[in-house]
Amino acid sequence: MEAELVVVGVNHRSAPVELRERLAVASPDVGSVLTRLARQPGVDEVMVLSTCNRVEVLSLVRDADRSIEHLFAFFAEQWPQDAPAVTQHLVVFRGREAIRHVFRVAAALDSLIVGEPQILGQIKQAYRDAVQAGTVGVVLHRCLHKAFAVAKRIRSETGIGSKSVSVSSAAVELASKVFETLEDKAALLIGAGTMGQLAARHLLAHGVRSLMVTNRSFHRALEVAREFRGTALPFEELTRFLHVADVVIGSAAAEDFVLGAPAVREALRNRKFRPMFLIDLGVPRNFDPEIRNVDSVYLFDIDDLAAVAQENREARQREAVKAETIVEAEVAAFVRWLRSLQTVPTIVALRERVEAIRRSEVDKLISSLPSTNPELRQALEGMTRRLVNKILHEPITHLKKDSARHHALYVAAARRLFGMDPEEEEGE
Amino acid sequence: MTQAMLLLAAGAYALATLMFLLHLLAGKSRFYAQACLGIAALSHAVTLATRVGELGFRGLAPLPEQLSAIAWLAVFVYLLFSPRAPVAVLGALVAPLGWVAVLSAYAFEVGPLPTTSSDNVWLPIHIAPALLGYAVLVLAAFLSLIYLLQESQLKGRPRGSLFRRLPPLETLDHLNHRFVVWGFVLFTLGIVTGAVLAQRTWGSMWSWEPVQIWSLVTWLMYAGLLQARTVGWRGRRAAQLTIASFVFLLASFVTVNLFFPGRHGM
Repeated sequence: MEAELVVVGVNHRSAPVELRERLAVASPDVGSVLTRLARQPGVDEVMVLSTCNRVEVLSLVRDADRSIEHLFAFFAEQWPQDAPAVTQHLVVFRGREAIRHVFRVAAALDSLIVGEPQILGQIKQAYRDAVQAGTVGVVLHRCLHKAFAVAKRIRSETGIGSKSVSVSSAAVELASKVFETLEDKAALLIGAGTMGQLAARHLLAHGVRSLMVTNRSFHRALEVAREFRGTALPFEELTRFLHVADVVIGSAAAEDFVLGAPAVREALRNRKFRPMFLIDLGVPRNFDPEIRNVDSVYLFDIDDLAAVAQENREARQREAVKAETIVEAEVAAFVRWLRSLQTVPTIVALRERVEAIRRSEVDKLISSLPSTNPELRQALEGMTRRLVNKILHEPITHLKKDSARHHALYVAAARRLFGMDPEEEEGE
Repeated sequence: MTQAMLLLAAGAYALATLMFLLHLLAGKSRFYAQACLGIAALSHAVTLATRVGELGFRGLAPLPEQLSAIAWLAVFVYLLFSPRAPVAVLGALVAPLGWVAVLSAYAFEVGPLPTTSSDNVWLPIHIAPALLGYAVLVLAAFLSLIYLLQESQLKGRPRGSLFRRLPPLETLDHLNHRFVVWGFVLFTLGIVTGAVLAQRTWGSMWSWEPVQIWSLVTWLMYAGLLQARTVGWRGRRAAQLTIASFVFLLASFVTVNLFFPGRHGM
């Protein structure tokens, strides 16, 4: 019975989020879940990938049909209150499909946002957990390392991860179309909205030198400034320090515009017309759209940023097509390797079979002799063992060596010639 | 031989233009565009060198030859710069410039050459900075065009591959400033050495020739542009002023050469 890779689980395509979040395996429980999975009949190697988009079991099993049933049963037992829903939403990948699935997941091709960078880290962690639990063998080791390599290759050979697909990273992208570098720039955050803080965090991560924070409530400004290690400034004096800011983020909850065109024009004069970059994340808007008409000022509102992010998402989809070709090639290579691995059980079975014949013949001969002489028995044992080893030496070397071409043929021939699969033909 | 070389250069320039457009609009690699431009510049250089070898520097006096030399210098400066400041879109402008220049050099027959200034050592000393100055100012004007293009994209809703390939406004503005400074210095050198050359050839440094007057006015415009930068004229206004100065430079260059050659040209 050949071993086969299978993936059983739920993901964002097959199951709604309410179900996925209930199935998620918390990291302290991973070890015990893995141990119990490894005890399922037919399961040789196993690991569990649990993220907010998927809970999947990857396993090397013997007798795939039966093992998949056991895995289904496992899911039902593990989450008894959701049992009917779980079995309804479980998806299965087998053999080549399973390998492709693992590679695609690692390369973020199966992610909700194609090309997102987190999944690779999550799958690496899942692999480490399984290694720690001792449920990973030679096949999963190789499969996962291959998956990491594929992900890396796709990242470097396609543009899948190169474009900003979130609103706040789109803000950074646009800023870098105005400024050569963000490293000597000062940013000003007006208000304390979540989006604004996210954008500020992104800008700081991309090198913005300093952050000023202002808010109608100075107390709140102090809080936010402390969090970002910025400077809090009183809102009433906005026009006095506006010209210091190269980047201004508006994220205040205000009915009226907090910034109008005259104030910006004034600021620009004070900064000798060095360009200013404004992002308006407030709803309703914080900055008077009239500001767009001011020279050397580049104002973007949330719709502009969303449009950039959307366009980048579409570009990623196009890059994903290239990535799929890479995945196909790597899957084919891995399948070849997996097939070559079947040599080992073949050789083991071959040795066992011949050894059984040898032992039974030696026993027969000894029992037919009138007296049992231990010395004679020892000599017989030694002689037959050497004989068997000499006969098997050549075919086994051949099986081991010729692992790439015509290999399946040799394995099939060896199995047939030595009668190792008595009741079935080897099928592919 | 020169004519065949010109055709080769024209072909390579055309191909380079196409490659740059593919790079900008379809995201193809920039490498082939740069390579084509390199081949074009090399064959173009051969034609210029052959001409100077046969006729001396006065062989560069006819308008098509001057244009050809300026275009080559612009391409050359771009190729020197591009590894450090990857402004691919500039390549997409210098490549067709080279193409036009090479074709015009191919199409127009060589007219009579100036005879007066044949063996003067000051001739190459005048020609080199003058032509190089023109070339650098061409690049400055191109950078300004790109600036205006990129700015109009940023003022609207930025979209598409071209926007992504265009460099940041700040980079374009800095480069533009540097090119105008260098162009201005070289242009000044060209005027000064020209005056010396005039002294040697005709006995007077300044004779209010049309080319001299136009050059002076153009020089003043660029001086004004550099002055304006110190009081905060940057970005769009600087770009517009660079383009205006360049249009002036171009107009004076062409009209002087075609209609008021005086003793300078033919």
